[in-house]
Amino acid sequence: MNLIVLGLNHRSAPVEVRERLAFATGQLGEATRALLGAASLHEAAILSTCNRVEIYGLANNATEAAQAARRFLHDHHKLTDSVDAYLYEHHDYKCIQHLLEVACGLDSMVLGETEILGQVKNAYYAAQQAGATGVVLNRLFQKAFSAAKHIRSSTAITRGSTSVGTVAVDLAEKIFGKLAKCTVMVIGTGEMSGATARALKSRGAGTILVCSRTHERAEALAAQLQGRAISYDQWPTEFPTVDIAISSTAAPHPIVTREKLIPLMKTRRQRPLFLIDIAVPRDVERVCGELESVYLYDIDDLQQIARENMSAREREIAACQVLIAQHLQRFATWLESNHSALEERYRNRMAATPLPKPAHTHAS
Amino acid sequence: MITDRTFLWLAQAFYAVSCVLTLRRLRTGGSGASLQRLNYAAMAVGFVLHTVFLYLRGQAVGRCPLTNLFETQAFIAWAAVLFFLLIGPSYRVSFLGAFTAPLVLLICLAALTLLADVVQAQPATRSAWVEFHAAIAILASGAFALAFVTGAMYLHQESQLKRRRLSSSFLLLPSIEQLDTINIRLLILGFVMLTIGMLGGLVSYHIVGHWTKPKIIWAVSVWILYGALVLGRGIWALRGRKVAVASMASFALMLAGFWGVSLIWP
Repeated sequence: MNLIVLGLNHRSAPVEVRERLAFATGQLGEATRALLGAASLHEAAILSTCNRVEIYGLANNATEAAQAARRFLHDHHKLTDSVDAYLYEHHDYKCIQHLLEVACGLDSMVLGETEILGQVKNAYYAAQQAGATGVVLNRLFQKAFSAAKHIRSSTAITRGSTSVGTVAVDLAEKIFGKLAKCTVMVIGTGEMSGATARALKSRGAGTILVCSRTHERAEALAAQLQGRAISYDQWPTEFPTVDIAISSTAAPHPIVTREKLIPLMKTRRQRPLFLIDIAVPRDVERVCGELESVYLYDIDDLQQIARENMSAREREIAACQVLIAQHLQRFATWLESNHSALEERYRNRMAATPLPKPAHTHAS
Repeated sequence: MITDRTFLWLAQAFYAVSCVLTLRRLRTGGSGASLQRLNYAAMAVGFVLHTVFLYLRGQAVGRCPLTNLFETQAFIAWAAVLFFLLIGPSYRVSFLGAFTAPLVLLICLAALTLLADVVQAQPATRSAWVEFHAAIAILASGAFALAFVTGAMYLHQESQLKRRRLSSSFLLLPSIEQLDTINIRLLILGFVMLTIGMLGGLVSYHIVGHWTKPKIIWAVSVWILYGALVLGRGIWALRGRKVAVASMASFALMLAGFWGVSLIWP
């Protein structure tokens, strides 16, 4: 008996191919059942995300099962051309290792991202509910979940944000704590400032104000963020109530200066102010960051932190691999010691499946 | 030979374990929830041993063990750990132990190694008021010790935010606003307790009738110092960095005063 994984991911295939092979979440269970029959697998599960489509299975013969699984993918998605060139295939140890790496985010586009674990769990539950998993895949997936949990808590692989928007959110949370009471002002409606404001909103930022030279764009973004659009001339009057300002105007000179900020910080009674300056040329004078309780980050600062966090994650890969090897070893030991019992079990089950009745039995 | 001091030394071993766990947490860099629990447990065990020391010493001197500078220092450290154990979980201040353990260790080790520990004979008169006023003033010092700790955490976290250079402790430490809030609450709590202690002192010295002058002047200055800090927030919008620096400096001054007053005018 062999474990196999057949699939493609963001490295092996372009998005045009990945989207053609993706399975809709609602149909995962049904597809997994169809796969069981089509590829004559003992157990199976399908993982389908925007970056990967993978079939996990337990088969009598790996090579035959993989061939059948390829045909299944082809037929199920009614493909007219071959996608073989984009597919990878791993057996046994390599298959187990692959699933562990995927669950831990080591194989993800953004190294160490944690969304993937939830997606692996969903794939497993769909397969389990469809009755497609058995004693081996149940144990393998549980092992992958506990390995991912272990690696997350004992290495820094998921540590630190790796995009400008989420870095800004981390900083905001380390200044204000919970963001519910914070008022965010977006000055200028660029793509990056929208993304940053959305990231803040998703972590619970309270009020969001949006202003732009073109009022329609301000209103559009405000609607998206469930915020309030204000006119461009109004921003200095609203500014004293603001805790976090995201600025990305096309102004050629700084619009927030030290002279303007000093009286403002007095009226705020030195409550902290977080200035996120995404504009180039910059909207906020650099010296503003030296004022008491003012925290100023420009686009380079945020990108620098995101890069440092990413390289810190890369330095953790080796430590993760060591832990993965331990989990892999434990599962492999269990599999080997139970191998004959499992074979027996599946042989019996196959024998127990009623064969199609011959057309004519002994006529009485 | 096992004396009551042995238990205080043992407590230090557990506080030291807590320090080592912190370093490990910084190095491995995971979420470290289990290390945090272990750290708390180490501090709790240290606290129990620390309490055993105070209890045995209290039995030996027949009253609240504040009869010499050594005992006073051990008591202040004990109060600091008490506040840590209470505040850490209830306010969910992560990494508080990382800064508390070294301070407590420093105070206790200095007391254990530098101070003469002469167990005082039981006094002729014993007043509940005297003991109450001293004990509550020491508890207030424990709150001020924790204000020192949160002040240090604030300064560390704030300087990372200002310099835009984030170390591995950045994500483990709480937000500066939370630290600021806890800091001011500890200062208020400490100040209220100190005020009660001082009033108790007024009453008790009336009863017992001895009045050591330098000690009183020093106590009143500490009271004024912390009073100004507490009122400062309302009056001059004193907060953040300034409060953090002031609460660290005040505690350092207070400790120095303890040593100075007790050693110069025993």
